[in-house]
Amino acid sequence: MFRGARGYLLYGLGFFVVLEIMLVAAVYWWPTFEQNLPSIKAIAAPIKMLSSLVDQVDQFGVSGYIVGQHFFKGCSALGTAAAVLFGANAIAGEAHRGTMEVWLARPVSRRRLMGERWFGGLLVVIAPVFASSTTVPALLGMFDKTMAMSDLMRCSVHMSAFLAAIYSVAFLWSCYGSEPMRISFVMLFASVMVFALYLVEGVTHYSLYRLVEIKVFMRIITEDAMNWTLLAPMLGCVVIAYALSSRAFLKRVP
Amino acid sequence: MSVAASTQVTPTAPGADGAGGVLVRALEHRFGTNQALQPTDLEIQPGGVVGLLGPNGSGKSTLMRLLTGLVPRQQGEILVDGVALSGDGLEIRRRTTYAPGELHLYGELKGLEHLRFLLRGRGPQSLKRARAIAGELELPLERRVRDYSHGMKRQLLFAASIAPEVRVRILDEISEGLDPAKRSQVLDLIDADAARGTTVLLSSHHLGEVDRSCQRLIFLNKGRLVADESAEDVRRRAGRLVRLRFSPGALPHGGAQALAGPGVDSVEEAADRVNVMLSSDDPREFLGRLAASTGLPAPISVEHGRISLNELYRSLYGVEGT
Repeated sequence: MFRGARGYLLYGLGFFVVLEIMLVAAVYWWPTFEQNLPSIKAIAAPIKMLSSLVDQVDQFGVSGYIVGQHFFKGCSALGTAAAVLFGANAIAGEAHRGTMEVWLARPVSRRRLMGERWFGGLLVVIAPVFASSTTVPALLGMFDKTMAMSDLMRCSVHMSAFLAAIYSVAFLWSCYGSEPMRISFVMLFASVMVFALYLVEGVTHYSLYRLVEIKVFMRIITEDAMNWTLLAPMLGCVVIAYALSSRAFLKRVP
Repeated sequence: MSVAASTQVTPTAPGADGAGGVLVRALEHRFGTNQALQPTDLEIQPGGVVGLLGPNGSGKSTLMRLLTGLVPRQQGEILVDGVALSGDGLEIRRRTTYAPGELHLYGELKGLEHLRFLLRGRGPQSLKRARAIAGELELPLERRVRDYSHGMKRQLLFAASIAPEVRVRILDEISEGLDPAKRSQVLDLIDADAARGTTVLLSSHHLGEVDRSCQRLIFLNKGRLVADESAEDVRRRAGRLVRLRFSPGALPHGGAQALAGPGVDSVEEAADRVNVMLSSDDPREFLGRLAASTGLPAPISVEHGRISLNELYRSLYGVEGT
């Protein structure tokens, strides 16, 4: 367990390295994927949602492949885990370890303590998304392909808003709870279930991961603009969860 | 996390507008249905060491946490160092130091890192003093706190709470778990601090651990303030108490009242024990009457003169922490 700024830096770096490894592997296998796309489409055909995903990659080419691999798969799956773990541990972790009292007893306001904890954890979750996205053009350059940095940054903002919403909900729960493991397990289990819903025809629209699917990112890229219809509710969720967290934290007894 | 900008507390003359003192009016607190602190009034003048005593669960820690804003106030009024408690108690925490009784620290931090953590917002001079105090206590600041013994952790908290220049210190169970030599060293430092005009509110569930430093003793039991008197008065009273013990069942109910009379302030009977508070510390007249009494069985023990303060409290209030 690492604490403070050093802790945030190390955990953020760790998350970045994992994302980057996945991204490098995805880019490395792009030519093979492109070459085998007809076979992959044939394999995916019986499962409608899977088939739809492969069709989207086929339609949008390397951009669709990258947003699928990096944002929809890498950032949303690993990012959800990171957001849940950091959010759940933020306050409940102090209570669980019994360190809440020494943490709060210093002459620092609770609003500031909570704000620092909230922003620190959020940065660990979203900074690696942006950082890894900046390496995409260089990686694609190996195959004479490219993606505009502005498109990648807009997609990163959208992805980060999604992760921030999950993080904020976990953080809110953490402000009330004292069992970070329980919060993490419940939220991770729920997120896996919601992710699984995405692939089930008929209920796929109930999956929150529809907010970060390939089509959403490709629309951001093709329209050169943020998708505020989706972004605004996610940011609203963050703001509401933060306000509720602040209220709970101010009343929290060590 | 880096050390934030230190907070400068504007000094005022001790005693002016409650500076350096603690004032509590009609303070009470509930945790759900449990009344942790019954309506309490308390006034502590600036300077000196005040002992807050009582068994586990008596409300000492709750009162201390309320004073520093760590437990949100429900009812009542709190002024510490002339500042009324408001919001999350930040202004009071700036003007006081608080050492929690719960001994949970960040084991992954080294001793010095932990001191920095505890002294955030206090300024570099506080850290310098804390390091010096830790040196006096022979604390290995280069070691990780997870490798510290219970007593070493307690001393680390103590060093962080005694170092900042404030007028009020609230120290919860600060001597708990210390060996006699270290406890004496810690109490010496507290005495020296109080001699400079600092007000120290010192809690313990074991009176014998802290009574030598306290000028005033406040006793809590089940969330209720049961006694508040100067330590000197208590010591004098300890010299006036005679404790009699009879064979089980030998003492007839109400029989002890036969001991009342000249030179006796009060007689209290509890099962086979009788506590007699004399008017003076000379027990000869009373013992003579006891020997001549024919209505009472002979006691199997008579204690007088060497009763410790915690024994006195046990006799008077039926409560004692250990």
